[in-house]
Amino acid sequence: MLRSTSLRLAAIYTAGFAVAVALLGVVTVVATRTALAEQFDTRIRTEMAAVKVDYSEGGLAHILEEIDERRNNPGELSFGVEGAHGELIKGPLDRLHPPLGWSTLRRGDHTLRVFAQTLPDGSHLILGEDMARMGAVETSIQHAFILAFALVMVLGAAGGFALSRAVARRLQAISGTAQAIIDGDLGRRIPVAGGDDDLARMAQTINRMLDRITGLMDSLRHVSSDIAHDLRTPLNRLRQRLEQSLRRASEPEHRAQIEGALRDVDAILVTFAAILRIAEVEAGARRAAFRPIDLTQLAHGVADDFAPAAEDAGQTLAPVPAPAAHIIGDPDLITQMTVNLVENAIRHTPAGSAIRVEVLAAADAVSLVVSDNGPGVPEAERERLFDRFHRLERSRSSAGSGLGLALVAAIARLHRAEVQLSDSGRGLRVTVRFPAT
Amino acid sequence: MKLLLVEDDAEAADYLKRALMEGGHAVDHALVGGDGLRLAAGEPYDVIVLDRMLPQMDGLAILRAVRAAGVQTPVLLLTALDGIDDRVEGLNAGADDYLVKPFALSELLARLNALARRPPPQDVATALQVADLRMDLLKRTVTRAGTRIELQPREFQLLEYLMRHAGRVVTRTMLLEAVWHFNFDPQTNIVETHMSRLRGKVDRGFSSELIRTVRGSGYLMNDRA
Repeated sequence: MLRSTSLRLAAIYTAGFAVAVALLGVVTVVATRTALAEQFDTRIRTEMAAVKVDYSEGGLAHILEEIDERRNNPGELSFGVEGAHGELIKGPLDRLHPPLGWSTLRRGDHTLRVFAQTLPDGSHLILGEDMARMGAVETSIQHAFILAFALVMVLGAAGGFALSRAVARRLQAISGTAQAIIDGDLGRRIPVAGGDDDLARMAQTINRMLDRITGLMDSLRHVSSDIAHDLRTPLNRLRQRLEQSLRRASEPEHRAQIEGALRDVDAILVTFAAILRIAEVEAGARRAAFRPIDLTQLAHGVADDFAPAAEDAGQTLAPVPAPAAHIIGDPDLITQMTVNLVENAIRHTPAGSAIRVEVLAAADAVSLVVSDNGPGVPEAERERLFDRFHRLERSRSSAGSGLGLALVAAIARLHRAEVQLSDSGRGLRVTVRFPAT
Repeated sequence: MKLLLVEDDAEAADYLKRALMEGGHAVDHALVGGDGLRLAAGEPYDVIVLDRMLPQMDGLAILRAVRAAGVQTPVLLLTALDGIDDRVEGLNAGADDYLVKPFALSELLARLNALARRPPPQDVATALQVADLRMDLLKRTVTRAGTRIELQPREFQLLEYLMRHAGRVVTRTMLLEAVWHFNFDPQTNIVETHMSRLRGKVDRGFSSELIRTVRGSGYLMNDRA
């Protein structure tokens, strides 16, 4: 989940916002507590001043009357009057014996904020308020903030998830298009939804880049297949003229030269046929001919067909027994691919080598493996082996168009198969991995 | 053999016509499809050689028109297109064989011979016999002069094709297409390697050689030993 950039951003953003809300909550509680405490003190102080006015008007008796009168008013402060020696005069805040001035006292499970003052007759007037009222305000503020915090978390997470899903979908469209192009569907483009945001602009830029690349590839492909195609007519005539001369020629030396020229023309035609075949495969039109193939049967058939040729070259070529394994593909092209791989192994290994053809079926893939115990290919050279006209230095002098493995690569791409070259311990191991059907 | 050649490349047609006439065949040539169609419908030919890429009228359209007119003459389609689909399309349109340009003259001659003397399709032989060589198609057995010969499946198919074309040259490409169903040219000569093993079994130790190599062309099974 956290491998999605947008989702990770949304999570970080939500967490940051939650921390901010929590800090705000703490600050609010502290500020409220301070403000409430001040308010309590102010109220007590004001009340004390008022009581003192009452005292100057009617003495202690008047105060006691006032207290009795107010006692039942809701939210009223608590009063108490003690005699000069602490004796009870008036409740409920009597017998507390608070020090003069401000103090905070506990009485039972209540906390009281209290102010005590000596009246002119020596008795003590005590005014106080239950701090539980302050606590109630604080608690409701805390509850409100916990609720807000939870809401922020839930909404932030849900919103972030929804937003990141939307972004992820658009990013998915981009990587899906890229994958389709890797698989050979060069015509695919990123769908550009309405709007002009950064992602839409990026999609348009990538699409323009793909148009450009496709254009370049098309012209490149056309150059080679156009050359191959256009040269076939004159080569056709050249071949006919050589054949005609051969029929008229009687001198053995003359005939040998014409026959050599015919072989050269045929070699050129083989190369052109390979170029045109690669172009045909790369055009992707062959997908229409796809049908289920038993790869084991096909590969074993090819191995049997080429075993005598390998034997004549002093090599052994054997299929490894395996159960049927089906893939979806073009049987002609898969046959040609297998033939090219087997021929490649026969041509590039010395007498005495053993060549194995096997088909491995796994849950997610069916692999065709052609391996030998010949000289192998240096790791640095392996990747380039599938390039057109690439040939190893040591095989430059031998026959072959240098296109056999390029055709294998093109056929593999058409079938969304992966070609891997590896060391077989001793020699080369080529694996063509087809996705399971 | 009386042949009709429909080919728009005058120079190539001229060469082919001369080469075929040197081989003892009578050749009529049409440069454009319309003429070809008229000739094909009006004259009895042994084989029609039809170029697929013609101006005005596509070779395949002519082929369909010829077949629609009820002409059953074998048709060999010549083409510069060698895509697999092109081949299938050509054969579906009613061609009997398909040859990609450029080709060796010997290849064309061998295919013309094979087409002209094609056995009628209702021929459902259960056994083939060439000289003292006998092939039982039902039991899949081969004997020569009464001696049983054991063959690999591919060797059996190869021998069957040779026996069905006894007396006619078959080329390497014809064998690749018919016996191996390869529509491409492998670089290894698998025809030769199989043929040498087949000859080792069929001819070695017997009085006469039935399978002969025809230099520069292909192979020939003698029909008179």
